[in-house]
Amino acid sequence: MRFRTVFIAAILALGAGFAAAQEQAFTNRSTELKDKATADARTLATLPENTGVKVLQRSGAWTRVEATGQSGFVRAFHLRFPASVEASSGSSGGSLLGGLFGQSKPKQATMATTGIRGLSAEDFKNANPDTAALARMQSYRVDNASAERFAREAKLASVSINYLMEEATSSRGRR
Amino acid sequence: MRISLLVATLAFAVSAQAQIPGLRGLDPGKLLDFGKKVTEASKEFSQEEEIQLGNGLAAGLLGAAPLHKNEQLQRYVNRVGRWIAAHSERADLPWSFGVIENETINAFAMPGGTVMISFGLLKRLQSESELAGVLGHEIAHVVQKHQLKAIQSGAWGDVATAVGTEVVDQRLARTGAAGQVVRMSGLGQKGVELLTNGFLLKPLDRSLEYEADRMGIVLAARAGYDPYGFVGVLQMLAQVKETDEGGILATHPSAAERIAELEKFVPALEKYAGQTVEARFRNTVK
Repeated sequence: MRFRTVFIAAILALGAGFAAAQEQAFTNRSTELKDKATADARTLATLPENTGVKVLQRSGAWTRVEATGQSGFVRAFHLRFPASVEASSGSSGGSLLGGLFGQSKPKQATMATTGIRGLSAEDFKNANPDTAALARMQSYRVDNASAERFAREAKLASVSINYLMEEATSSRGRR
Repeated sequence: MRISLLVATLAFAVSAQAQIPGLRGLDPGKLLDFGKKVTEASKEFSQEEEIQLGNGLAAGLLGAAPLHKNEQLQRYVNRVGRWIAAHSERADLPWSFGVIENETINAFAMPGGTVMISFGLLKRLQSESELAGVLGHEIAHVVQKHQLKAIQSGAWGDVATAVGTEVVDQRLARTGAAGQVVRMSGLGQKGVELLTNGFLLKPLDRSLEYEADRMGIVLAARAGYDPYGFVGVLQMLAQVKETDEGGILATHPSAAERIAELEKFVPALEKYAGQTVEARFRNTVK
């Protein structure tokens, strides 16, 4: 029964053409697996760095995962996500987490990313401006009042928050 | 600074012309004209001029990738985007959001308040808060005029020759489109030219991307969205092996680097976490 559900989910994911759930990730430091998505929740296990986990849902500050046979929550920032295709690009050497990527064995070489027909320089070069499409796009504009109603429907409330200051960002590089 | 020096030099050359025989052939009027153009290139764009330039870029992009046909989806993205933009310092811009039908994974900000997201990126998101993170990042670029400043820096040619916000019939001279007539202002045409010259394929300075990441997360959080939505987007991007010239990884720092930068700030916003808004997103983005 459970197998069948998983199987159907897999088919659905394939059909949709993108990898939704069931992502593979690794802990990027030693971290606790909690039974709820809060810091003071019960600790189910301590996961050492580089523990492979199955991501069930990325959602907010905590990510629901399955690890060492149990499901629970770990902090979102305590996970790293390897590229799902083995061949790594030249730029990954400059990555801050680059050193950690070596031993991962990403298993799903995946459907999602191979053969993407994206945008090329040629597409841009040959583009003829489409002013009719622009006018159609602009006809979908909404005003502030309509956006506010829409926000209220999802219980989204305005909060006053200051921008995050840059100083902290560059401190490591400068000192 | 550099420009006023140049203008001063030109003015000197013009006034000195009468005394120096070698300069006799020069037309002082032309010299002044040139000085004026250089000055105009660096002048502040009016909001209307900024909008026209962005419209040209957007019309060009829509010529490269069609607008997605799902009207419900287009309105949905406009509502999310407008709500976030209303929490920015440029809430009064005529914000316009569009989904392009293309498998590339990317989103683009144009001067004047136009933001486009590819369906290839949209369908990989899992909640409205993740969409809010993407749109917040692009809105931050517009608020800070990052693209506009890149255009004005001079690296993209003389913007001063493309003056005029009046929308008129323009005959395209470019090869391949010769003879096609579009209704567009002079600045709109400049926008198209920027697009075809690959403006959207060229990266901005990395520090501007990090700035847009930080600002975008705050804008989304001000609008009530979970600030971790954008972290989720970057974690999704970390898994993508991309070879597409028009893709996000061609023009941005790596997802892992961006996540590492954000870890310095985002935990301070944890008290605003919670509103991911998944059901409405799933019902609309199919």
